[in-house]
Amino acid sequence: MLIPRKYQSIAVAAILLIVSLTMLSYGTARLSETGFVRKIVLEAAAPIQDAINIPLQSLYNGWNRYLFLVGLEDENRRLGRLNAALTAQLNLYREEHLEAERLRKLLALKGNFPQRAVAARVIDRARAPLFKTLLIDKGTVDGLQAGRPVLSDQGVVGRIIEASWHASRVLLLTDEQSNIDGMIQRSRAQGILQGAGAAGCSLKYIPRTEEVLEGDAVLTSGLTGIFPKGLLLGVVTVVSGGNGGLFQKIEVAPAVDFDRLEEVLVLTPDVKPKP
Amino acid sequence: MIFYIFMPVLLLITVIVQTTILDLFTFGLFSMEISLVIAIYAGFHLDTLRGGLLSLALGFFLDCLAGAIFGLYAFLYLLIFFLAHIVADRVYREKPALVASFTALCALLKGLAIVVFYHSFFGADILSALPKIYLPQAVVLGALSPLLFKLFHRFGVFLHAEDTQPAQRI
Repeated sequence: MLIPRKYQSIAVAAILLIVSLTMLSYGTARLSETGFVRKIVLEAAAPIQDAINIPLQSLYNGWNRYLFLVGLEDENRRLGRLNAALTAQLNLYREEHLEAERLRKLLALKGNFPQRAVAARVIDRARAPLFKTLLIDKGTVDGLQAGRPVLSDQGVVGRIIEASWHASRVLLLTDEQSNIDGMIQRSRAQGILQGAGAAGCSLKYIPRTEEVLEGDAVLTSGLTGIFPKGLLLGVVTVVSGGNGGLFQKIEVAPAVDFDRLEEVLVLTPDVKPKP
Repeated sequence: MIFYIFMPVLLLITVIVQTTILDLFTFGLFSMEISLVIAIYAGFHLDTLRGGLLSLALGFFLDCLAGAIFGLYAFLYLLIFFLAHIVADRVYREKPALVASFTALCALLKGLAIVVFYHSFFGADILSALPKIYLPQAVVLGALSPLLFKLFHRFGVFLHAEDTQPAQRI
């Protein structure tokens, strides 16, 4: 042996240290390179790691699945509650959007009249077959009074028959007590639109000599001064001779769908100041 | 001879098990470095050649499979082995408290060395890793080391069994 026995341990330690320092300097100098010996180790380790990892992964997946199932019921309940809350919120937003749409139409209509118009919300509908009325949430405090015309974006609704401070009752144009001066848009023939209950309305006092066709639009004539001229009342649905009388029998379907009415516009007697 | 034949394979398997299975138990918070305890055990009980080679091989395998800088673990494990080897001659090495505290100290020193190395060579500021990673690792390894030493001792007896020569008849 070249090295004395006394110094063999020191020599071994020195050699090992030099080897490890060489490895370290090689590693720091070439970080991205994979040496040959290292490749062999990786190749040898890969199948063993794979063999260990397969059952380990199955175990891990099984455990995760168990934990998942344990939490599933709570998660389901939580999501159910969240879904209900979000659906309610969505309905609210949808409702507000539709309301905004309706109010936008009413606002556009409001600008068409010289009178001041008050928007009101429908708060009740009379269910009795004979009386076709609505209750709205505006009254005399807002400038409303009996006789004032009530409109919607679809056409004429009716007129106010009684008003308290904060509520008013509206007689619909389909009520048998309702009489509104109207005219056929195409022929300009004038008559009186009378309510006919469930049947809608009938246009009276149109002479047999006037040509009236199904589908003709019926508008307000503006003669009595209550309703402004040119508002849509309805559409002619049936025209008949009137059993040999002087006038024709004309049935008119109202333009407004009263069952779906939620907001209306009431024209007050006050005239808007001109800009 | 059996030591040099089986050692690389056993050490490779140890490192693989350590990096795949044992690290699962710590939930990724720190590495359960049984290999470090083996290097310390080698420093306490093996001669310079065997223990040095074993520590170098352990560090090398760890560098190959889990290290970011090739050679760093090999160098550090060798240093820890020599430190343990020097300490072993001056203390009563079978005392569990000594084994536990020395293992914890070595784990901390190893962590500190890694932090210093990363800071010096790459300018990386990973000082927070000391209390977050290396301190819990030192505590856990220190607590486990007396038990592991007993296990290694039994295993070491088995490994040396065939190396021992029967006494010759005169």
